[in-house]
Amino acid sequence: MLTEPVALAPEAGREQAIGEVSGAAEAFGIRAGMALSEALGRCPRLALIPPDPGRAASEWELVLRGLEGIGAAVESDRIGEAYFEVDGLRGIWGPSRENVLIRAGRAIGRPVRIAGAPTRFCALAAASTARPRPRARSKARRLPRVIAAGGEREFLSPLPVSLLDGRVRDERGQVADDRGRLVGTLERLGVKTLGELAGLPRVAVADRFGALGLRAHELASGRDAPLRPRLPHEELIQAIGLPEAAFGTQLERALELLIERLLADPRRRGRAIRSLRLEARLTSGGSWGADAVLRSASDSPERLRLAIGSKLGGLAAPAASLALRALELAPPGGIQPALDPDPAEVRRERLGEAVKQVRAAAGRDSVLRVLEVDPGSRVPERWATLAPLNEAGR
Amino acid sequence: MTIRVDRPVSSLYAPRAVEVRPGPGGKPELVGGNRVDSVREEWLVEDRWWTSDPLRRHYLEVVLSTGRNTVIFRDLVSGRWFEQR
Repeated sequence: MLTEPVALAPEAGREQAIGEVSGAAEAFGIRAGMALSEALGRCPRLALIPPDPGRAASEWELVLRGLEGIGAAVESDRIGEAYFEVDGLRGIWGPSRENVLIRAGRAIGRPVRIAGAPTRFCALAAASTARPRPRARSKARRLPRVIAAGGEREFLSPLPVSLLDGRVRDERGQVADDRGRLVGTLERLGVKTLGELAGLPRVAVADRFGALGLRAHELASGRDAPLRPRLPHEELIQAIGLPEAAFGTQLERALELLIERLLADPRRRGRAIRSLRLEARLTSGGSWGADAVLRSASDSPERLRLAIGSKLGGLAAPAASLALRALELAPPGGIQPALDPDPAEVRRERLGEAVKQVRAAAGRDSVLRVLEVDPGSRVPERWATLAPLNEAGR
Repeated sequence: MTIRVDRPVSSLYAPRAVEVRPGPGGKPELVGGNRVDSVREEWLVEDRWWTSDPLRRHYLEVVLSTGRNTVIFRDLVSGRWFEQR
């Protein structure tokens, strides 16, 4: 199928831009992120496949676990791309870097483009120009390409600047999405290759392109930020089937149930949740997903609901099932207190403990909260009422 | 020792019946057995007159001989006295 011009259709309710494309589609000049109308204009017989980010994420998680299974500390910001330090594994799978990469290819267990280089960007460029390695156990013997330290600038020099598209990170380490403006401008100015970009004075690049341009200059010069591998984790997921055309309140109730089930999962072993993914299988086919990262890990259902609940608004099509996945858990040992705790939070915790103790001694209605109802009323019993005080002191 | 508190949840500021002995002119002389030293303020509240359960009260803020400041009212529908606050 990948020998045909194929692209992922735009996701429901999102920008009308295509997703990943096949090699045959690339030959028509079609790229991921291109407007659907432009892609169809370039190739009218382009086949569109409904995106299934949920399944793609599951499959990619298997790939990452395969790599982690051979001891690799993996960084992966997007599905289909993973980076890890090779040198630390040479003692196990080496001695050469090529041996380590061959072992990694086997661990992935599917056709893969793999290469080694001193920097992330250089490795990506080397892998992009490599031929896919066949499946594991294939008899083909072709060594993966490895760029030696010091050779990265020479290797990158003849490559097109378009390789920088979607690869330049901002000051927070996030990939900057400038919609191809940087690369487009470079090409219009006649800077076609990474070598030409690296040859420009840093001051001139900074003057014309700002911080983003400087980072692109560094990548083209063979310099890159160090890897930030993820912590290996286990799968925690809860799913629920939905009645036909469930929407609004029904989805919210389903989400609350999933949160309760996720928190009650014994595999969590008391660890707080740092990031979550909400996934939905759509009745029309395909799937939808959205991630939420909490500012601090939590095992409070309310906080989890606040963090992920707002994502439900992005679900633009009826869902057949809803799933909640814990992407990252805090280390065992409960929620770690902050070095400089917020005095208000400390007071609230102490108040919550006091409420528990008083209730235990004097009954549930012994601690109540005064709730102002109509303080301006001429009838005093309407000024305020007493309401239960929850144990968080709120 | 365990103390149990059984209290209706919305009882804040609910009126409590009180024994009042009115003097000449209808002004209270005794509230709950305590002599009234002075009446600081009085006002009328008429509310929900458009319903079948109208609210008509004659409020008085009084200072008792014990020094306590309290608000009492006479329900003009039933004629009974209540203490509030």
